[in-house]
Amino acid sequence: MDKELAFEKVQEIFKDIFDDQGLAIEASTSSNDIEDWDSLNHINLVVAIEKEFKIKFNFNELTGLKDVGAMIDLIIEKLK
Amino acid sequence: MNEFTLADIHEGFEQSFEVLLDSEKHQKFVEISGDNNPFHINNEYAQRKGFKAKVMHGLLSSSFYSTLVGVYLPGKYAILHAIDIKFLKPVFINDILKVVGVVSYINQAYKQIEVKAYIANQDGIKISKAIIKIGIINE
Repeated sequence: MDKELAFEKVQEIFKDIFDDQGLAIEASTSSNDIEDWDSLNHINLVVAIEKEFKIKFNFNELTGLKDVGAMIDLIIEKLK
Repeated sequence: MNEFTLADIHEGFEQSFEVLLDSEKHQKFVEISGDNNPFHINNEYAQRKGFKAKVMHGLLSSSFYSTLVGVYLPGKYAILHAIDIKFLKPVFINDILKVVGVVSYINQAYKQIEVKAYIANQDGIKISKAIIKIGIINE
């Protein structure tokens, strides 16, 4: 899967989790940019991404992620 | 009380229990919630609305989802994150409810399980169903 397609899928997940169809994310988007991105919604995001891409993360992989771009890179890496 | 940890649980893991929804529980719920809508406390009013008797509060029967999580699945180490309930059929005084939960997803990274649950009455009719997200913290 290429990065662009992964980004589109993640964009839809963000819209769904934050219940905001107008939400537009960028590679640099982080939890500082979205008010409702709290710890529970972070879990919701991770679970939704796991289900969408049929992958499983471990805790250590997730702790270092600084923004959406890093998450996309991790998804692509897990799909290889 | 069960004390299941993430290591004990797998997708498809199931727990259930039965409970009698008697008038004492109903009365206490009216007192606690303050919801004294006649639909819930007046038989004649409910019958005029087309029901056989006063209908129990959906959140009273759904309170047993809390029991499912906090006592049975996983029990002691549960932290309820979210619950999405759909009400399907009415519940009446002295219905015997069977509460069932089946683990449908496990997120190992954040130690969260997703449980598909339902409550059925003594006739086997599902009165509600729910998707429940539960954190498990046993450190």
